[in-house]
Amino acid sequence: METNVTSIATKTPNATGEPGVNASRFEVVKRGFPLAMLVLLIVTFSIASPRFLTFSNFLIVLQQGTVLLVAALGMTFVIMAGSIDLSVGSIVALAALATALTADSLGAAAIIPAIAVGAAAGLVNGVLLAKGKVPSFIATMGAMVVYRGIVLLFTRGAPVSIEDEQFLNVYTNRTLGIPHSVIIGLVLMVVAYGIINRTVFGREVRAIGGGERVAILTGIQVARVKIYMYVLLGALCGIAGLLQGARAMAATAQLGEGLELDVIAAVVVGGTPLTGGVGSVVGTMLGVLIITLLSNGMNMAGVDPYLQNIVKGTVLVCAVFVTIDRRKIGIIK
Amino acid sequence: MTLAASDLRKSYGQTRAVDGVSVVLRPGMVHAIVGENGAGKSTTLRMLAGAEPPDSGVMTLDEASYAPPSVVGAAALGVSLVYQEITINRSLTVAENIFIDRLRQFAGPLGFIDRRRMEAAARAILERIGAQIPVSADTGRLNLGELKCIEIARALSTNPKILLLDESTAYLDHREVQAVLRVISELKGQGMTVAFVSHHLDEVLAVADELTILKDGQYVGTYRTTEIEPNEIHRRMVGRELARSIYPPRPPGDPSKPVVFEACEVAVGRELGGVSLNVRAGEILGLAGLKGAGAEALFAAICGDLPLRGGSMTLAGSLYAPSSPTSAWGQGVAYLPGDRHNEGLIADFSILDNLVMARPPHHGPFFDRAAATAIAGDLIVQIGIKTQSVDSSCRSLSGGNLQKVVIGKCLAVQPRLLLLNNPTRGVDIGARTEIYRIVRQKAAQGLAVILSSEDMPELIGMSDRLLVLRQGQITHRIETAADATEHDIIGHMA
Repeated sequence: METNVTSIATKTPNATGEPGVNASRFEVVKRGFPLAMLVLLIVTFSIASPRFLTFSNFLIVLQQGTVLLVAALGMTFVIMAGSIDLSVGSIVALAALATALTADSLGAAAIIPAIAVGAAAGLVNGVLLAKGKVPSFIATMGAMVVYRGIVLLFTRGAPVSIEDEQFLNVYTNRTLGIPHSVIIGLVLMVVAYGIINRTVFGREVRAIGGGERVAILTGIQVARVKIYMYVLLGALCGIAGLLQGARAMAATAQLGEGLELDVIAAVVVGGTPLTGGVGSVVGTMLGVLIITLLSNGMNMAGVDPYLQNIVKGTVLVCAVFVTIDRRKIGIIK
Repeated sequence: MTLAASDLRKSYGQTRAVDGVSVVLRPGMVHAIVGENGAGKSTTLRMLAGAEPPDSGVMTLDEASYAPPSVVGAAALGVSLVYQEITINRSLTVAENIFIDRLRQFAGPLGFIDRRRMEAAARAILERIGAQIPVSADTGRLNLGELKCIEIARALSTNPKILLLDESTAYLDHREVQAVLRVISELKGQGMTVAFVSHHLDEVLAVADELTILKDGQYVGTYRTTEIEPNEIHRRMVGRELARSIYPPRPPGDPSKPVVFEACEVAVGRELGGVSLNVRAGEILGLAGLKGAGAEALFAAICGDLPLRGGSMTLAGSLYAPSSPTSAWGQGVAYLPGDRHNEGLIADFSILDNLVMARPPHHGPFFDRAAATAIAGDLIVQIGIKTQSVDSSCRSLSGGNLQKVVIGKCLAVQPRLLLLNNPTRGVDIGARTEIYRIVRQKAAQGLAVILSSEDMPELIGMSDRLLVLRQGQITHRIETAADATEHDIIGHMA
């Protein structure tokens, strides 16, 4: 009986019945799509605007993208597990408010309430889904409105400013010319990469997205993993809220409005499908850059602001059109 | 109409499902296609019906070349298929189900469906096959046999000359089988050509005029049912030598071995009502029963997926009450579900990912890839999973190899109790033999196994002891499974 792994030199059959060469070539197109799109955007905008490809604009893009990146890293886990969170923009606002209310007394340590508030909001979402069995789309849609409502109730619509010197120094200054927020974003990216690719938790999240019933029957603590994953997203949104508040030097009731769409778009454009089971931090980073560059570049190139939404929406749909794996999702709803 | 096919071939990946099968369906005859699981019966039928294109081979319909692009194309030419799976939508009425793809033809001038006309048409078809089902019946309350009759009515609603009937994957009980057989004879009386797939010889001999025997995807022969003895059919279907060698030899039972698992008056949901059993180390306990007779519910309770309604369980002498599958796996109970694709493994994941899913090796929170690779490599060798790399996607594997991965996933936790729910469903004969070998080998090393299967020869061939379940109760206990007969077991099942 042939048993040695390495000695089994038989061809791997192509179960889909598609010609192997074409299939793999198509895979390359899919995988390389986010990067190709990024390059295309950079080239296009560089031609359209001379100020686009400059170091100072590069830093602006990174700063603009950091809030999106931090939230999108958390969203990558949730989408990888086949769930969704529509409340991220509201959690960011809630965390920014917590930051603004405590920055004067806590200084840089205001990150603790920011993370705590974000994690608590995520915990509620996670428990609603995992224990209450409310579909995540609905649970977090309700949470989106409720969290935003809490912010409005507290602020009565008026901004809460952040004036603490030490706080602003820590979160908005630069070291070696690089804004601290960007450094924080990059560190979190490395951490998220490690969690997804190197931990048991990351594998369990992926297994839930790949086949939840299989995961349950194989003994994975699906409910617990889901809750942890929402808490992680909430905590990251907490940090995103703090960074956004620090940048604006205030928490406002409108802060983070519509952010959920950009976050989801960034993750999906980066190649993490909404169907779950697959997820890539590098892809999410590319998605964030694409979404951010698109806005930044269109502004630089003087594209009519009323046209910009049309372009953004089109890009999102095109990206999914190319990258979605239609073989895996028998029926597309 | 005469439908003839010669030298049909069809492969899925490395598996040759059909390898040179020829069959001729003559007008007004009932033709049975028989063989064991994986013999290629359904695939042959599906090719005749246009559901799958053959890789090679020639098909003719009344001498004209016949290559239907789809089941719809075949139906237009007068060849209609009744699927293996029940495809009735339970939220629609009987009549709507029959005309589901042609509701438009009952549309009135305003576009609304003329219910009365549709129900009259449905009633006419049901009367034609002699099925006593009211067209306005709530489909949710019908039994499987009645649903099968509606499926047949749907196939007949396109006015075919040839009806192809795939065997039901769901176990029909005897009454339901009789109802379907009645329909077939009724149609035969009306001059319809019928081909059907079955592995129940009684059914075949009751209605068929001719039968074609397939074995391992190959054509064995075509016979008139009057000219061949049941024993002879069976011998040609199975191949006696094969039947002997496919199951590994049983070591003598050892009553001194410790009882690993014991259930005492266990009741689960509505399905299982108070069942007591035990299984010793090194023993394979077989569970026979129709679908819904209680084996699935028992497994769900043992693996922590469903709570007990009554009774108690012990594992290795101490009280066992798993609150979740996590707790069951943690205590050394591994479960191989009956539905490989939706419950057994994640096909998009690699072999390694699936093999170590239940208990991933780790240092603290970090996954230990080196250890996982070693575990996976070891399992691949032990079970004979045919692959080039532990990182290959399971999508590239055949059904038998996939099932070996699920078995590997179970064995990776070094369980003391292994629950096997139809472990060889849709698995080719080669992989079956290896699965039987590894299960028996693990049992010999002290593993306790409970095996539930719809495959009678497998139950008889693999089990040490056998229990027959009917409607949530044990109706028969067979202490020496080797002496059991299929007839005996089925008698207590239905």
